[in-house]
Amino acid sequence: MVLLENDSFLTELTRLFQKCRTSGSVVITLKKYDGRTKPAPRKGHSETFEPADNKCLIRASEGKKKISTVISTKEVIKFQMAYSNLLRAHMDGLKKKDKKSKSKKTKAT
Amino acid sequence: MPYYQTWEEFARAAEKLYLTDPMKVRVVLKYRHCDGNLCIKVTDNAVCLQYKTDQAQDVKKIEKLHGKLMRLMVSKETHSGSMETD
Repeated sequence: MVLLENDSFLTELTRLFQKCRTSGSVVITLKKYDGRTKPAPRKGHSETFEPADNKCLIRASEGKKKISTVISTKEVIKFQMAYSNLLRAHMDGLKKKDKKSKSKKTKAT
Repeated sequence: MPYYQTWEEFARAAEKLYLTDPMKVRVVLKYRHCDGNLCIKVTDNAVCLQYKTDQAQDVKKIEKLHGKLMRLMVSKETHSGSMETD
């Protein structure tokens, strides 16, 4: 797992999407992150670690390649704009809008 | 765990699950270009919610929810009122 800066994460993510065009899939995981780098101590041990509650961790993987990045409050707006554009641009292998699809979908269980 | 049939139900359940324990929940997005499908999963290792689609129009919705949860994760107050608006 490679921890990248926000910008280089996006470029790498683009590469992952290009890689999966022929086969395989891209998996993106989003999780709240408190900045912890060591495991939580067992009971009875004092903890000096103070969790921060304004970060989130994004991991992406395609096959064997794995990348990750940490996003904090300051960067979220900028990152999210670029990120959502990237997702929308690359998730283009789905079926185009079909008015009948809605009724079909509810039937197929 | 079964897939949700409607997006609205899924989105509501996903937000609710996230707010119960933000530290535990992860959101997983899986995209397969060759099969043309997209799957979103929200889980806290006890409850697992899933939604799968092959429709291009759902990308926008899924990406929107993804972004919404991302913003919630970085916002300082875990129980923000923004979820109650809709």
